[in-house]
Amino acid sequence: MRLVFSRNWLIAASCAILAVTTASACSNSGGAVPGGQGASQLIDKSPVATDEEIAASPTAAAIKRRGQLVIGSTKENPLLSQQNPITGLTEGFDADLGRMLAKYIIGQPNTTIINATPTTRETLLQNETVDTVLYTYSITPARAEKIGFAGPYFVSGPAIATLKTTNGITKPADLKGKKVLAAANTTGANVLKQVQPDAELITFPTSQECIQALEQGRAEAYVNDLTILASNAVLNTKLKVIGTPFGKDPYGIGIKHGDTAFKKFVNDWLKKIQASGLWQQAYQETLGTKIEGPAPAPPEIGSVPGS
Amino acid sequence: MRPFSEYLGDFANGLLVTIELTASSFLVAALIAVVLVAFRVSPIRPLRLFGTAYVHLFQNIPLLVWLVFLVFGLPEIGVKFDLFTTGVLGTGLYSASYYAETLRSGVNSVPLGQVEAARALGMSVAGSFGSIILPQALRSVVQPLGNVTIGLLMNTALTGAGAGLVDLTEVANRVNLEVTQPVVIFVGVGVMYGLLALGISTTSGALARKLVIHR
Repeated sequence: MRLVFSRNWLIAASCAILAVTTASACSNSGGAVPGGQGASQLIDKSPVATDEEIAASPTAAAIKRRGQLVIGSTKENPLLSQQNPITGLTEGFDADLGRMLAKYIIGQPNTTIINATPTTRETLLQNETVDTVLYTYSITPARAEKIGFAGPYFVSGPAIATLKTTNGITKPADLKGKKVLAAANTTGANVLKQVQPDAELITFPTSQECIQALEQGRAEAYVNDLTILASNAVLNTKLKVIGTPFGKDPYGIGIKHGDTAFKKFVNDWLKKIQASGLWQQAYQETLGTKIEGPAPAPPEIGSVPGS
Repeated sequence: MRPFSEYLGDFANGLLVTIELTASSFLVAALIAVVLVAFRVSPIRPLRLFGTAYVHLFQNIPLLVWLVFLVFGLPEIGVKFDLFTTGVLGTGLYSASYYAETLRSGVNSVPLGQVEAARALGMSVAGSFGSIILPQALRSVVQPLGNVTIGLLMNTALTGAGAGLVDLTEVANRVNLEVTQPVVIFVGVGVMYGLLALGISTTSGALARKLVIHR
């Protein structure tokens, strides 16, 4: 009896620690952690480049010789690139793409993640500390002057979140005359004004305060970047994220400026995983677990200025 | 980008919210302050203790903390006001402690003989406070009360960040996010706050000249 009690207590305690450190739901059913079980299947199915394809890009050949793909990213971005403290594996959409790209080049999903920040991403690529940057990296013409962008591999943008109990809000037009929350000084607040000027905007300094206010019924919807909302939904299960964003924020895979051969190589790989449905599967297993609706159509490669 | 003139309506609205906030918070604060001062000079010990505790509590915790507590904390225990009311409550409750301390210094300036005279005439505690002490106290601290009111006006700028109100400062933040002209916008808004403060200090100055008691 005593042993059973202490075992239960241990399980409860480890659940609590897990909940605090990873903020993921603790359940016995397994597979609750996005990208956990599915990721390995994803990697099994993902393609490997032919020798000719590798030979066409000196960068890819160098990575293959090294046996390791070095990625500039983070380990603290839920659903995109977050380290699981139990398995040590980095999980999420960006992390899965990174491993698939590594397998495409090396034949094995060997990746190393170098911690990057929004201010160091360009430098890490320029001084060849990393091979690529996979870090919710928005493609802009200004950045494209310093580094190269393959992709876009994902289109984010401002989107709407509501409580799960709220119905009838699926697009900006539904926000007419409604109270809408946004974090102060975010683009979401600005874009909302353009797409729905008749919404009453309420701003609080942080995302957490906005969600709190939403829960307490001070407004009916909350507007922020799609991937941020999805991350928030990991922490707060009362939150529902509405599928399609209403603005465009295309994410690219950062590579060294002027390396056209490697850019073509990465773009070809992106097209392959898009065509084979692996892109969609990676989305469903990560971001798709928190964003309502079917997987979006993958973005057209090279469709954005700067890519 | 919209031309700058299109934002004038937003600024006018923000200015209005700031004025409404200031006026309402002033009323709340003044009302509480008078009660607090009465408590602090009353002969009943628990009331004196409450008055002292209130002043210390509100003066020693920043207004932003109070606002966040009122906006997000109270609904957790089932008490929810709309954002404007919450802003007024926060600013009013907080400023009341400063008004109370200012008023108390006025009370202290009333010669003890006045109190003794009132008692000798058989006036009640409430009567002597309301008719003898408070009127004299008020008249000797008009200018300092004006200064506290200017402080209150400036403090309303926190309601944008703490209570989600679209006051003058918040309008400036939002417009700046769109047009990125911080120098023009914030200098302009600063001038508006300056003019409002000037209005308050001119009024209190005129009142002080009229009401001051030369001892």
